[in-house]
Amino acid sequence: MTEITKSKDFGNGWVELNIGPQHPSTHGVLRLKVKLDGEIIREVEPVIGYLHRNAEKICELDYYCDSLIYFDRMDYVGAMNMEVGYLEAAEKLLGIPPPERVQWIRVIMAELSRIAAHLVWAGAFGLDLGMLTPFFYCFIEREKILRIFTETCGTRQETNYMSIGGVYQDFNDKIVYDIEEFIEQFPKKLGVIFDAYVKNDIFISRNKGIGILEPEVAIDYGVTGPMLRASGIDYDVRKAEPYLVYDKVNFDIPVSYKKDNLARFLVRFEEMRQSIKIIQQAIKKIPDGPYFNPKAKKSLMIRLRGEGETYARTESPKGEFGVYLVGDGGVKPYRVRVRSPSFKNLSILPVLAKDVMIADLVAISGTIDLVFGEVDR
Amino acid sequence: MVEILEESKGKDGRRILKVAKENLIALMANLKDQGFDHLSLITGVDRKDRLEVVYHVHSMKKNEYIVVKTETLDERVPSLTSLYSSANWDEREQYDLMGIIFEGHPNLKRMFLPENWAGHPLRKNYDLQKVQYINMDENGEDYATFDSGDGW
Repeated sequence: MTEITKSKDFGNGWVELNIGPQHPSTHGVLRLKVKLDGEIIREVEPVIGYLHRNAEKICELDYYCDSLIYFDRMDYVGAMNMEVGYLEAAEKLLGIPPPERVQWIRVIMAELSRIAAHLVWAGAFGLDLGMLTPFFYCFIEREKILRIFTETCGTRQETNYMSIGGVYQDFNDKIVYDIEEFIEQFPKKLGVIFDAYVKNDIFISRNKGIGILEPEVAIDYGVTGPMLRASGIDYDVRKAEPYLVYDKVNFDIPVSYKKDNLARFLVRFEEMRQSIKIIQQAIKKIPDGPYFNPKAKKSLMIRLRGEGETYARTESPKGEFGVYLVGDGGVKPYRVRVRSPSFKNLSILPVLAKDVMIADLVAISGTIDLVFGEVDR
Repeated sequence: MVEILEESKGKDGRRILKVAKENLIALMANLKDQGFDHLSLITGVDRKDRLEVVYHVHSMKKNEYIVVKTETLDERVPSLTSLYSSANWDEREQYDLMGIIFEGHPNLKRMFLPENWAGHPLRKNYDLQKVQYINMDENGEDYATFDSGDGW
């Protein structure tokens, strides 16, 4: 609950307010210590770590193939993107490239997962601003994606679908049909959801011109993803350093120059449309072939040895997701380090929420798109 | 010119520069002038006899990554907060989990764990069998304790 824990005397009439960690609008377990001058925020200090599990240490104690499930639980609404990020680094280190068919399957799954993650964000962001209806529309659409995931790998969210050198199960005709059916009807539904937001005057007036993020400040703080693109910089890892088969599909990077909350909202919605475009092309181009690399047989999986170091970066729904792996020639990684985009994006909050009204703090922290499994790891 | 101890290439094809920690700030300032405006990641690696600190620097315009490495025997390296704002939270995280002391950091507090947590979990000699419990005092601040009756 939001409550005034103590009203210290700062000498200028400021009041210290504690928001969270258990608060409906903090998207998990974010705690904010806010110093208020009347209704104006003068200082924000995010306190994190309530969901900290030290996944990096757990990965060091496990075999290369076992670490994957801890990545599922980082960004738990976009689990497929996390798996792609880890496997990009692990496969490079172990020298087991995935076959062509697997790369296309991974692109399709990653983009479906990106749409699901953005839909969760859109629904929750509406809730932050007091709009209940779009939330249900978003989750109905997301449920269709999760049903496709259930069909392919048996689980809804923490999919654990991919593995080193391949995927757990090949696409069958029903999955392809389901995906085609989904991408055919989705753009129309997305239009309905989009209208529910932007035709609402209160939504526009609470977001337009609020939370201005200058591009130089964003780069200085290491902000990436839709937040950076909403500040006018067309940086997307899928284009800047293509991984998998992103260089063989045709898509655009949405960029906005308005820099405010509304720009971040629009960029994310346009990204969903671009994801649909990628899936449409990928589902046609997907070639026949094996769905795993024979070098990574299940019985040999725990004997894989890695030496050297790699850093792989991928574009997760939140931004640039990097995995730095160091191997010492053993069957377990020596050091695993994760660059989580939400963590970097959260560090900009004290800058964005300086000298704004307390009600705008919720809107601004909503547009950052925080997932605490990833911030705290 | 900054003296580079060793230059190599990683498995992913990125340039790796190794410098002495005294020259770190000079090299990073040099790189920043060349357009490497985005400090992407700071990593501490425990090499048992020494601590290695790895910096991934990125240039948005040139779309290029450079890996800078430095080593320390006494857990201390200079802080980069004066050059990059993103170093602030990354250095706090590495101080928390790896125990690297960044000299000149304006607010070197633990990022995730309570302030009085014993040890740094990512060190290779960290004792995983010792259980620590977390509780909250009257001011709402977390603290760690070895007493299972006090924690929850």
